[in-house]
Amino acid sequence: MFGFVRLAIFGFIGLSVIFVLVRIYARSLRREALEDAWAEARSGDALYQTQEAYVAEGMRAYDKSLRRKLIWLVYVVPTVLVVAVIYLMNYT
Amino acid sequence: MRYVKWGFWALVAIFVALFLSYNLPRHDIVRVVGTEVRRVDFGENSMFWASADVGSASGTSRDVRFINTVRPNGKTLVFRNEDTGWGWPPYFKLDSSDLQAQAESLISTKADPIWVSITRYGWRSRWLTIFPNAVGLKQVSGPDVRIIPWANIIILTLLVLLILTIRAMWRQFRQRSIDPLFDDASEAWDGAEERANGWFNKLFGRKR
Repeated sequence: MFGFVRLAIFGFIGLSVIFVLVRIYARSLRREALEDAWAEARSGDALYQTQEAYVAEGMRAYDKSLRRKLIWLVYVVPTVLVVAVIYLMNYT
Repeated sequence: MRYVKWGFWALVAIFVALFLSYNLPRHDIVRVVGTEVRRVDFGENSMFWASADVGSASGTSRDVRFINTVRPNGKTLVFRNEDTGWGWPPYFKLDSSDLQAQAESLISTKADPIWVSITRYGWRSRWLTIFPNAVGLKQVSGPDVRIIPWANIIILTLLVLLILTIRAMWRQFRQRSIDPLFDDASEAWDGAEERANGWFNKLFGRKR
């Protein structure tokens, strides 16, 4: 049982590191996309806003988006994989 | 410096290849001729053996299950049959006893062979006295049956995707967080930075 607890603890730590890194990366991509969208805008709100305001507004929308919540899959997918492997290896 | 760079990457490539070769599952079509349990005292080869069965105490000496088999070409192949448990490699194998029973039920003679496909990882080395670990067993119709290594296809694809993702993340970080720092700094800094990064870039850097 000790081995299982150790796997769970280190697995959780490892996945947490990945989770944080992916979140920073995804955020950075979104910010870059917003900056580019502002720079290339020919019409719409972007023309009447500073770049900072436009990006800040975009990031507020991003914080509530489904896309950002999907990063929780970093925890879900490996767990499901492990359960699937345990089932396939031992019960089929 | 160029040879150092090549040498370094060659070493990395060899290490990765050996690692994958040892840990990825492979299939052998064999005929089971017997099973046995014998006591093994681990020495310097202990890293090529799994740990004690899940739930039991560990030591330097232990009974290990073996599956003795013969290949279609007549050569022998001996497998060990150990739990990997929750450790490395992550096969999460907990059913050694059942696998042993399954192997026993498929023992056959040369005259009337039953061919089985054994999924295993690990190497057989007579010098080190190490054996591949059988993780799965399936009866097949004949010695020439073709087995598509789905597990390897999936694992290697995921591995490539993972490496590409890490590379993309690093590039994004470099472009967004590191490069702007140096753009702001005065020109006097450039020379110093160049020298400091010299050996690092020669080893890891992209061609500009």
